[in-house]
Amino acid sequence: MTRHPPAIDDESLVAALRLAAGRDPVPAHVSAAARAVFGLRVPGASAALPVATAAPLGVRSADEARLLRFTAAELTVELEITSVDGLVDLAGQVSPLPETGTTVEVRTPHLTQSREVSATGQFAVTGLPPGWFSVVCRRPEHCPVVTSWTRIRP
Amino acid sequence: MASEAPVSDQHTIDAALAGDQAAWDALVTRFSGRLWSAVRAYGLSAADAADAVQGTWLRLVENLHTIRDPERIGAWLLTTARREASLLSRRNRGERLIGDPAITEHSDSGPPRTGNVHPDPALAVLSADEGRRLWRTVETMHEPCRSLLLLMATAPDAGVHQLAGRLGMPSGSYGPTRGRCLNRLRTMLTAQEAQP
Repeated sequence: MTRHPPAIDDESLVAALRLAAGRDPVPAHVSAAARAVFGLRVPGASAALPVATAAPLGVRSADEARLLRFTAAELTVELEITSVDGLVDLAGQVSPLPETGTTVEVRTPHLTQSREVSATGQFAVTGLPPGWFSVVCRRPEHCPVVTSWTRIRP
Repeated sequence: MASEAPVSDQHTIDAALAGDQAAWDALVTRFSGRLWSAVRAYGLSAADAADAVQGTWLRLVENLHTIRDPERIGAWLLTTARREASLLSRRNRGERLIGDPAITEHSDSGPPRTGNVHPDPALAVLSADEGRRLWRTVETMHEPCRSLLLLMATAPDAGVHQLAGRLGMPSGSYGPTRGRCLNRLRTMLTAQEAQP
């Protein structure tokens, strides 16, 4: 590969110069985290993908709750996000109403919190570090549903 | 500079899809350095850069089965990483994505659609051979560009005041000068290509 395509942006040039200079190596923990990502697969799961949610009227303040919605073929997972002291609280809703015995796992790359879903389809976790999140929903007699990874920051 | 890792082949990707951690590790080894440099070039702190790179690998885990093509995986990873880095960089500069960052990220700029990843110029430039050629070109540049680019590349965590001070220029001049030097370098590279 000896030819440059016409447009190389500044960031690419800077990245290439630094990579070749070798003075900013990948930190070991970054490579370790990348390898560990492989263990976060949920074999056989179906993906719940994000869909846009209309912000409720007037929600423009940083301390208002935010809403994320993920849908799979037969399941919707909503996450209401609030931040307290730099940590993340999630209040979730699974719909349609799940059968008894449905559980969720709220995951970050480093920890997993399991919750039974209430009869009204709700679950909550509090005090999680900001970063990447995914929720796995496990219903009896169904394949697990896993939401795509989403970055949540205060 | 370490030699290039072997090209990831179909076998590696198929093995990763089949659950082989070693195959996944091979992908990580092959692309980690380029992804790290790519996101750091957006002026991200080490913590933010780590976040962007991790998000890129999380997206690959989700999407590997739709990519499969060893020719495209590098461009896909790089495009995804640069997008994450750009979003973080914009947030850090105060362009608050108030409504809902996560959804904004997904709807405006989620992982690239796997059907239409273009060959990425950044991927070509991030090879060892191209890196050496870049530096040979920088060596031929006049001041302040030669010193500025050298300093910028070798002090990735230095701030603007620090860099400008070491170059003996006002802080306000650093950004515009850097921009002109990068433009000049780009022009020189283009001229090299025009020659046989």
